[in-house]
Amino acid sequence: MPTGHRHILVVEDDQETACQLVDSLTINGYRVNLAANGSEALSLGLSGDYAVITIDRMLPDIDGIAVMQRLREQGIAAPVLIISALGEIDERVRGLRAGGDDYLTKPFSFIELLARVEALARRSDTVIRETLLRVGDLEMDLVSRSVSRRGRHVSLLPREFQLLEYLIRNQGHVVSRAMLLQHVWDLHFDPTTNIIDVYVGRVRRKVDDQQAYPLIHTVRGVGYCLRAPG
Amino acid sequence: MRLAETLRSSTFKFALVAIGLFGAIVLALFSYVYLSTASYVRSRADSAIATEQAVLQRAYDRGGPNDLIVVIQQWISDQHFQNSVYLLADPSFAPIAGNLKAWPPTLGSEGWRNFRVQEWKPDAANQALLRGVVKTLSGGEHLLVGRDIDDLDAFARDIKVALISGIGLVFVLAGVASVMVTRRTVGRIDAINATSRAIMQSGLDKRIPLRGTGDEWDQVAKNLNLMLDRIEILMQEVRQVTDNVAHDLRTPLARMRGRLEKAHHRQRDSEYDQALIDDTIANLDAVLRIFSSITRIAQIEANAQRAAFRTVNIAEVMSEIVELYDAAAEERSIRLSCVGDQRVLVTGDRDLIFDAVANLVDNAIKHGRAAGEVTVEVAESSDGGAIVSVADDGPGIPAAEYPNVFKRFYRLERSRLAPGNGLGLSLVAAVARLHGARIEMLDNQPGLKVRLLFPANMASASQARQGISAGDQEALFIAQ
Repeated sequence: MPTGHRHILVVEDDQETACQLVDSLTINGYRVNLAANGSEALSLGLSGDYAVITIDRMLPDIDGIAVMQRLREQGIAAPVLIISALGEIDERVRGLRAGGDDYLTKPFSFIELLARVEALARRSDTVIRETLLRVGDLEMDLVSRSVSRRGRHVSLLPREFQLLEYLIRNQGHVVSRAMLLQHVWDLHFDPTTNIIDVYVGRVRRKVDDQQAYPLIHTVRGVGYCLRAPG
Repeated sequence: MRLAETLRSSTFKFALVAIGLFGAIVLALFSYVYLSTASYVRSRADSAIATEQAVLQRAYDRGGPNDLIVVIQQWISDQHFQNSVYLLADPSFAPIAGNLKAWPPTLGSEGWRNFRVQEWKPDAANQALLRGVVKTLSGGEHLLVGRDIDDLDAFARDIKVALISGIGLVFVLAGVASVMVTRRTVGRIDAINATSRAIMQSGLDKRIPLRGTGDEWDQVAKNLNLMLDRIEILMQEVRQVTDNVAHDLRTPLARMRGRLEKAHHRQRDSEYDQALIDDTIANLDAVLRIFSSITRIAQIEANAQRAAFRTVNIAEVMSEIVELYDAAAEERSIRLSCVGDQRVLVTGDRDLIFDAVANLVDNAIKHGRAAGEVTVEVAESSDGGAIVSVADDGPGIPAAEYPNVFKRFYRLERSRLAPGNGLGLSLVAAVARLHGARIEMLDNQPGLKVRLLFPANMASASQARQGISAGDQEALFIAQ
């Protein structure tokens, strides 16, 4: 990946949260610029080439959504992750309609944040055009909508296929339950039950049962990660 | 009540304006009556005098002063003319004939005059008012023809007095009436004000007293009392919810604190510490979930989400839910199926409808019979709305509990230990209310059947066809 695309702008006014964000992003190999208010965010946002910009919804001077809109007006196309302590539903609609690419409600786990930032960063530099996806001995044919493992056909329902496709496209990266719900079911709320786990459990049985090694791994407290061993 | 307060009242000011307007009209009317009566009386007298003068003039023209004197003498002696005054005088105003002894000094030599003379009815208390016309005849004599108009004058005066006192009486009565009305109005408003102050000072248990007259003031008081009842109930609910929130948050927080405190006094042990941290994060997540459920319900109840309303094929949403919960149902060997129409349109927020029905399905799977059946049914109702029902064949819930289960944090005794926070059905209720949908709880014999009845609306195709307006937007909970 080009270095420019590991560069992240964090806009956050709460000092402790900002430090935690910068730390966890830095540990995961990102170069981070921090803006503590809206006007700083505007000047930094316009001067650098960022892979992802995270913006806190409530800033001391300019509203987070207004900051994002001004950046957009100035031609900044970097994906924006809006972070907010305000309630989810109405704000989600407002934030995404104003040009945000993803939305995260405070409080969040840093793994969840990382997962989303990584997903956005990937989106900004690669578009997968292949019709055949491979992870280890798993093959997914996007044209015939079929999945096989070590040459043996795996029978999946359409939604199970979508779920597996999303995991494969994000292979090696953590995918949270909320992200699955959002991208596979197009639902924008936190599931309060373990329904996603049960669903992934069934896909996992179909994909991983009686195989040499498992592909779908649980990431405790956050979600799942699909990766081949080694 | 103090008089000053009455006089300051807006009702009194309004009454004053009304009295002023009314008084002006009455005054104008009375003046018209008086003036027209007075002028009618005067013109009657004047025409009688003019007629007599004409007759006398003709007598003079026909037979000179002698004939005139004869007529005058005749009339004077006639009873019918006892109120009339005649006097013929020579060119130097010396009387020749008539019933006055001398030419009255106030009279001129020509024209109409009102006058008084000493000798006319000398026994009367006041000098009578006379009115007459003076004419100089062709021989140089002066002729006065007049009338005693004192009675007429007195009549006009009587009318004037009656009218003026009438007006005065009207003003006085109107003034008294307006003070009384004002006192009554201000009194009722004062009662309402006093109650409001009492409520602000002490609490919501005060009510505005009714007079039992059923008048508009009683109606206002009754409605305000109903409003206070409603507010009191809402406040109690809020207090109840606050208590429940406090309880539901305190319990896991207390557990976390205890565990951390215990760990604090222990020797550091990385394996134990790791487990402790994981447990604490899980506990915190549970607390945060309760928080976000509460704020989510509050947001939905604030009707803030109508902006996200779109036309939604609810049948499609239902089959997605069934698909999502298929795996969970399988774990309990429950057959989960979706039946009914393939295309039923409602206007709403897809996510919220999904969340609400998913909660019902989740409950049905959790509380239904293992190896039982859960059926989601979608149908278009006869009025163009949509009916969604979720039915299980488990133990169901007693009918007496139906209204309770929608309360926040409410949990049946038997499910107190099962996972969940008692907010699921509150969310369903809030989503239903936002969509103007009704919730019905039915006995599925055995099991529970929950029905959501979405109203018809403009966006639904069948509805547009039939042109039915979106009906009652209030959600109603019917326990059957």
